[in-house]
Amino acid sequence: MLKRISSVSFLSLFCFVCYCFNFILTLYCSLLPLMQKYEKLEKIGEGTYGTVFKGKNRETQEIVALKRVRLDDDDEGVPSSALREICLLKELRHRNIVRLCDVLHSEKKLTLVFEHCDQDLKKYFDSLNGEIDPDVVKSFFYQLLRGLEFCHKNNVLHRDLKPQNLLINKNGELKLADFGLARAFGIPVRCYSAEVVTLWYRPPDVLFGAKLYTTSIDMWSAGCIFAELANAGRPLFPGSDVEDQLKRIFKLLGTPTEETWPGVATLPDYKPFPMYHPTTSFSSVVPKLNSKGRDLLQKLLVCNPSHRLSAEEAMSHAFFNDLSPAIKNLA
Amino acid sequence: MAGNFWQSSHFHEWLLERQDLIRERHADLQILSEEEYQKLMIFFANFIQILGEQLKVKQQVISTAIVYFKRFYVRNSLKCIDPLLMAPTCIFLASKVEEFGVISNSRLISICQTVVKNKFGFAFPEFPYRINHILECEFYLLELMDCCLIIYHPYRPLISYTADIKEMKDLKDNKDSKDDLLNTAWSVVNDAYRTDIPLLYPPHMIAIACLHMGCVISGRDFKQWFAELNVDLDKVLEITRHILNLYELWKNFDDKKEVPALLAKMPKPKIQPSSECQNIIVDNLELPYWAYYSDMGLRDFTESNYSSYGT
Repeated sequence: MLKRISSVSFLSLFCFVCYCFNFILTLYCSLLPLMQKYEKLEKIGEGTYGTVFKGKNRETQEIVALKRVRLDDDDEGVPSSALREICLLKELRHRNIVRLCDVLHSEKKLTLVFEHCDQDLKKYFDSLNGEIDPDVVKSFFYQLLRGLEFCHKNNVLHRDLKPQNLLINKNGELKLADFGLARAFGIPVRCYSAEVVTLWYRPPDVLFGAKLYTTSIDMWSAGCIFAELANAGRPLFPGSDVEDQLKRIFKLLGTPTEETWPGVATLPDYKPFPMYHPTTSFSSVVPKLNSKGRDLLQKLLVCNPSHRLSAEEAMSHAFFNDLSPAIKNLA
Repeated sequence: MAGNFWQSSHFHEWLLERQDLIRERHADLQILSEEEYQKLMIFFANFIQILGEQLKVKQQVISTAIVYFKRFYVRNSLKCIDPLLMAPTCIFLASKVEEFGVISNSRLISICQTVVKNKFGFAFPEFPYRINHILECEFYLLELMDCCLIIYHPYRPLISYTADIKEMKDLKDNKDSKDDLLNTAWSVVNDAYRTDIPLLYPPHMIAIACLHMGCVISGRDFKQWFAELNVDLDKVLEITRHILNLYELWKNFDDKKEVPALLAKMPKPKIQPSSECQNIIVDNLELPYWAYYSDMGLRDFTESNYSSYGT
């Protein structure tokens, strides 16, 4: 009798335990997606259409960058610029291009999850105190060209290259970021208006209002960044407005003429400039760069866009002959 | 963007198997027969085509929109979101992605209303949606496709193959005959977008199959050219069979007569959306939690985020 009761109660107890376990399991499973996959850490930047936070993947402990896209109730729906970046980074996978790991959806918000990099090139410059190792210059510039070459091969123009959009890691990797988007990892935006910063890396054809951009636009910016790298972060053409910008360029390279650049006078915003003749030689502009480096720089900083080197050509320039194979062969 | 198809999300994530389609559509095929389902898909592809033509977007935008539409309903039942709402949403998104520009809200809605009224009055009494429905729907569409938005179409390979044929076999007649062939094959491609073909085969295969059919239709013989191709010709034949089946189905498909009955039979959300409705009604278990709880205060994203698709 006693035995029977206890076996019944054991059975019911067992059922009860099973029931509880089942209940907890269901609860856990239903709550799992509601729990944060990423823990939000500090803010790292403010972009044109959202804020960028550092985040941590709770499962893998991986550190990421969370870029929030706010969807306002305006005409556009998901903004074209965000769509462009999503489409593009979904398709472009390259070690010198920042990786889009995930896109999170919630009501009225999209969050783009990027791989996190330690800092941007601008911040790196600030930490240098005016000294940079020539091998670092070579390695960073080569990686910049390799990322660009990949974009251009896939018919993608970056259009907004600047040190703030180049991310670097402690292990010396460089990655292109911010494809037509907010400047996420920027130095506080208040220091300069966004436009002025971009102005420094804008080629003369675009400054004159040229609309038909080609890959040459990125090659000019790459040249400016190359010089800035070689000078440990001193910008090459820090113009204050369009006119000042062009003046600075022409003072170094000479004012273009119809001979050196056929059709220059027909550009929409063309304005005649005084005839500057190049007086300063490149060796005083980038004193620490060797002669091969100066030659490469001069072939990138050409006013006539059709005469600028392509990324592919620049990569095979003699300047990179002695680049360490470890960097060269990372594909 | 003319990237590399073999590295694209289209190739890696969105070339499906026939089995996938059957499995995913299982629920809908309990209610509709395979043939009825195909007819509905033809009908809605036509709807998107006409909508796109009225909005004056280029064919590539229309084709992209049709693929988006098919992708959504491969992964979801027809009852999740009314296809009548999904169709203009696909055009709206495709136009942005294909860099054709943003279609203005008022224009989109007014054209939807006119098209429904003038050309699809036999199927729908009116176009009941407003722009906020489309913007919300765009969001579901993006999520469902896991943001894979770049679609590769057969048009570009088709153009280069036709040029290649012309070079190889010097068409002695005249220039017209080549354009003729291209035009015929081009229309066959457009027809192929009425079927599941864009979900199943890579674009260059579709182009070859359509080119082959174009040759047959215009009575030209390029056996040599096809023989030298390094592709799986069995697959090409499969595509051809698909298209022939489509034509067979299409021939006997009187949409004005059949569509009202098909739409009546089509699985629908439990509650019908009305024009007063603020949110589109979704009736689907696969949609994310916020589709249900969106009014329960779970609005702040990073406070309560999650990923619908793991990394």
